[in-house]
Amino acid sequence: MTPDENAIDKKDGVIDNEKELLERPVFSFRLQIILGFFTFFILSVVVTVGALIAINQIEKKFSNVQTWERFLFNIEQARRWEKNYFLYGRNLEEALSTTAEAKGLLDENLKKFEGSEIPVYKETIKKNLVLYQSNLLKLRQLERENPERMPPVDDIESNLRLYGARIVNEAENLAASEHEMVIRWLQLVQKVPAYFLVFLFFLMIYMTRFLSRRFMKPLKYLVNETRRIAKGDFTPVQPLRKFRDEFTTVEVAINRMLRELESRQNSLIESHKLRAVGILTAGVAHELNNPINNIMLTAHSLLDEYDDLTKPEHIDMIKDIIGETDRSRSIVHNLLDFTRENKSSFEPIDLGSLVEETTKLAKNQARVRGVPIKLDMQSGLPPVMGDRQKLKQVFLNLVLNALDAVDKNGLIQVRVRYHKLNFLSAQVEDNGSGIDPDVLPHIFDPFFTTKPVGKGTGLGLSVSRGLINKHGGNIEVESRPGKYTVFTVILPYYPASPTG
Amino acid sequence: MKRPEVLLIDDEPIVGQRLKTGLEKMGCAVEVSKDPKEAMAWVNEKRFDIVITDIMMPEINGIQLLEAVKEINPDARVIIITGFATSELARESMEKGAYDMIAKPFKPADLRAMVAQAANEMGFTDVTDGQERHDA
Repeated sequence: MTPDENAIDKKDGVIDNEKELLERPVFSFRLQIILGFFTFFILSVVVTVGALIAINQIEKKFSNVQTWERFLFNIEQARRWEKNYFLYGRNLEEALSTTAEAKGLLDENLKKFEGSEIPVYKETIKKNLVLYQSNLLKLRQLERENPERMPPVDDIESNLRLYGARIVNEAENLAASEHEMVIRWLQLVQKVPAYFLVFLFFLMIYMTRFLSRRFMKPLKYLVNETRRIAKGDFTPVQPLRKFRDEFTTVEVAINRMLRELESRQNSLIESHKLRAVGILTAGVAHELNNPINNIMLTAHSLLDEYDDLTKPEHIDMIKDIIGETDRSRSIVHNLLDFTRENKSSFEPIDLGSLVEETTKLAKNQARVRGVPIKLDMQSGLPPVMGDRQKLKQVFLNLVLNALDAVDKNGLIQVRVRYHKLNFLSAQVEDNGSGIDPDVLPHIFDPFFTTKPVGKGTGLGLSVSRGLINKHGGNIEVESRPGKYTVFTVILPYYPASPTG
Repeated sequence: MKRPEVLLIDDEPIVGQRLKTGLEKMGCAVEVSKDPKEAMAWVNEKRFDIVITDIMMPEINGIQLLEAVKEINPDARVIIITGFATSELARESMEKGAYDMIAKPFKPADLRAMVAQAANEMGFTDVTDGQERHDA
């Protein structure tokens, strides 16, 4: 796959991610807040309607109580007139008219009472009332038939007493139970708002917690993601939420930013690599001179002294030429291998030999400066998972930096060995000028450089750290001004660590 | 007949192997070393007339050798072999009194001509670069 296709692929991936995020069903915070308030509103409506119904019921019951009291008053009045009749022989007409009035009241309201939840023996009342009335009527008839002398009316009298007492008794009972209902409704009307307030209080606490949790969770997630991104991991943000909300917009924007960042980072790495290539090319030109010189000298000697030499000597010289040609080829190959643009791919790598190859690239720089590079590789180390070229770039950068730091008595030591846990370490140590403690915390910052303008981009270490972080490792530095500087690259080895 | 004492140092062994015979044929007494430390020791105990040295070598470079040679025999002619003619080291070596310099890759005949000229200047009149012998 060419790098172009690779780029397109990656872009498609990001667009897919964006599409996926935007296609999630909407459940925005706006909607959630609206839903929350709507729930409150509905609850308030229910409670208010309930209160209205209760008040209406109370009103009804109250009028019932009044009706019963009026009825009772009429009956009691009728009974007083009835008593007067038996005592003084008058007021029978008044008794009859109040009884009729009571009957009218009962007929008028009986329909209304039928819907009432109190089991009313209205029919009994009515029956008793009718019986009471008929006895009164019977009395009046007897009086009309016998104007002079009244026959004995003891049975009518006792009937009237019996039915009258029954009516009063029942009407009192009914009025009392209606009254009781009024009290019960009143109590309900008093209690419900209090309960509702308590319920509302807890509901609000719950809603607040629910909403803030829903709000805080993506916020926390994003904070963690930014930390990850700051470490140089540019994988798009992919939240686990099933819904799309206001944060999705932020996440989509972050992913776009990541895409930009990654492409910039890549061009930074590229420009930094080109700088290294520039340094290397000068060294390689020189390095190539040696085998070419050997070939030239050997060829000339062969030409000049052909007849003086023996056949085995001829063969030796031709073998020398072949050998030196191979050497030239591998020098060119090494440089090409470093500069070649290929797909970033992780493979198991023997860290020791990779570091050694990289050191060879810088060998000429070292020779120009007369600085020996000592290698110390622990043998039998497990491989690391990595991108060969990127790792070479990092180590070359470290070695070239070390060369810049030392003077004529410089010495560079390169060590590869086991580190702690599942890690290997590759160290580049120089006995050069060291790094000032004030400067030390900033050396991995992008564009930070102590070299004169035009000599360094200030990107080497920042890019290197980014590359090593992508390998699940880290670069550490330790320095004593005037004594030494050690850069330690720590990489997880394979297969012990799946992150590599 | 007095022969000039020549020391040839290059850490590439082929250089010494190929040039030794030619220089001897010119009438020089030739010592060859591919180890600058060893060469330094020789320089300190023996007086060489002509020293041909590669400039870029591990641990001890051509300039250090040049200085050592000049200290013992200020008249000695030192020819510097360089990777690039324009390098800092090459310029520095000329300032420090190198006789001449020759850039890799070079023809053996060119170096021989340079040695012959140096030898003649020093009074070793018998030394010739033998050019005519091979051009025929």
